[in-house]
Amino acid sequence: MSKGKPIISISDLTVQRGGAVVLEGVNLDIHAGDFVGLSGPNGSGKSTLLMTVVGELEPMSGRVEVFGEKPGSKASRGRIAWVSQAAAQLPPSLKISVRELVALGTMSWIDMMLPFRRTDRAKRVEEAIRLVGLQDVANRNVQQLSGGQRQRAVVARGLATNAEVLILDEPLAGVDRASRDEFLKLLDGLCRKEGKTLVMVTHDQGAIHRCTQCAICIDGNVRFDEDHVATAPMLQVESLILDDTFPANQRTKAPWGGE
Amino acid sequence: MGGRVMGLGTLLHHVLDHPRFSILSTIGGWMPGEVFPAFFEMEMFERALIAALLITVVAGLYGTFLMLRNLSLIGDGLAHVSFGGVAVGVAFGAVAPMDIASLACVFSAICIYELQNRDILSGDTSIAIFLTGALAFGLVILRLFGQGITTDIEGYLFGSLVLIDDARLDRITATSAVALFSLAVFHRPLLAITIDSVAAKMQGIPVHFVGLWFSVMVALIVVNMVQLIGALLVTALLVTPAATAQLVSRSFRGSLLWTQGFGLTSTFLGLYLSAELNTGSGSMIALVAAMLFATVGLLKLIASQLPDFKAPSPPEEARG
Repeated sequence: MSKGKPIISISDLTVQRGGAVVLEGVNLDIHAGDFVGLSGPNGSGKSTLLMTVVGELEPMSGRVEVFGEKPGSKASRGRIAWVSQAAAQLPPSLKISVRELVALGTMSWIDMMLPFRRTDRAKRVEEAIRLVGLQDVANRNVQQLSGGQRQRAVVARGLATNAEVLILDEPLAGVDRASRDEFLKLLDGLCRKEGKTLVMVTHDQGAIHRCTQCAICIDGNVRFDEDHVATAPMLQVESLILDDTFPANQRTKAPWGGE
Repeated sequence: MGGRVMGLGTLLHHVLDHPRFSILSTIGGWMPGEVFPAFFEMEMFERALIAALLITVVAGLYGTFLMLRNLSLIGDGLAHVSFGGVAVGVAFGAVAPMDIASLACVFSAICIYELQNRDILSGDTSIAIFLTGALAFGLVILRLFGQGITTDIEGYLFGSLVLIDDARLDRITATSAVALFSLAVFHRPLLAITIDSVAAKMQGIPVHFVGLWFSVMVALIVVNMVQLIGALLVTALLVTPAATAQLVSRSFRGSLLWTQGFGLTSTFLGLYLSAELNTGSGSMIALVAAMLFATVGLLKLIASQLPDFKAPSPPEEARG
């Protein structure tokens, strides 16, 4: 795969959260068409990294560029979609159908205020629902879906925005095994067939296999695996994720180096 | 206030009361009770009726979103703040108490929103601080400078239909109109933000602005509700109908419609009962709203216990 300019470029990034340094000296490049898995134990800075990429957190030092500009700037608006658990865990009193949820993704700020403007919105909604395979339950209330279906509905909302990059924050939490495999197949397809760039945070080491690249957060550092993860380094990846204590000797053994 | 220009509310009142249409008097003719028909005949009560129905519609719509955003008690907090503002106004010789209340309320709503937004304080903590702070300030000022004015102030605590003069009807109507119009424009972005604010932001929605607009509108609505149903009872019309609707509705649109149904029933029945039984109108409206919730909740509970009534009931148990 020939790689041009990275879509997301992070260099020497240090981020503080609540007075503590959560990420330190992180370097990471994400190119178009990548399926990047971000893993690591709780509190290792995975979510912080995502929040910085979408501009919700300010870096203390270092540089983050998204589409060549600062995160949250106009250039990246609408080109990145955030797919998080928040949307899957809707307030129980909200009764909204899958189609309505997905439709919210298609609307720009102007469209939302002037919904009578004719656009290709309806087509995009149906296309997104079809891609995630929820045609049969499109009119069903999101609350009535299973965990896996709900996650797919949220992904459809992200797809409907027409964004090139989908950032997925723990999409596999609370999803049973069968739907997990199906969900991963879906993401794989999105990456290969639809040409989407995916960045996924997950605890699921099996899910990392699907990714084209994998990065591990350990104690505020991100180790980025340049090779395909399905090859040798994967073993270390798994042991790192499985072993919550992360003994120092294992960390130094990681073949992809780090800083 | 002599020589005022006719406001939106007065205009509405005139249209409804115009001899050519005689809308109010026609409806009044159908109304039961000995005292209640006065709401369709006497100027003062007509104003109160129009104001109450308008504010019910607006409160129901905003209440649905408040409930979804887990801010059910912000109405209560802002009502206390506005009561503090009224107290300050009354203490200084009633210099436009509603203006002072509006200012205090909008200011507090913005502060509460910003404190929440910057993760400095959680929602209910900041509401608690503003609620008690502003209320205490108002009461202290009232005691220091008010020389024992208490009669006026009671109307704002429990609501008083007598408080609704032409100027206030105009204010309530104008606020309702702005609230309805802006909600029509912003309800989709608001829904998107409620579901996932980060995703909404990535989509290009000005999350901060929409949140701020919502806070300011809720503050203005609450100030107007305080005159009608009282500072202590604002939440009854803001949240209870929305909560009742949530028990029976199956879609988002449905929940908005049900909210209107329950809200307007509460107001109408509340005004009727308070007129006939000679009780406070605000408290009766709140009571009816709560009773509606209890009844619907109970019916739903009974319905869910009935075998084969709902799809998800386990077949083994249903067969007995």
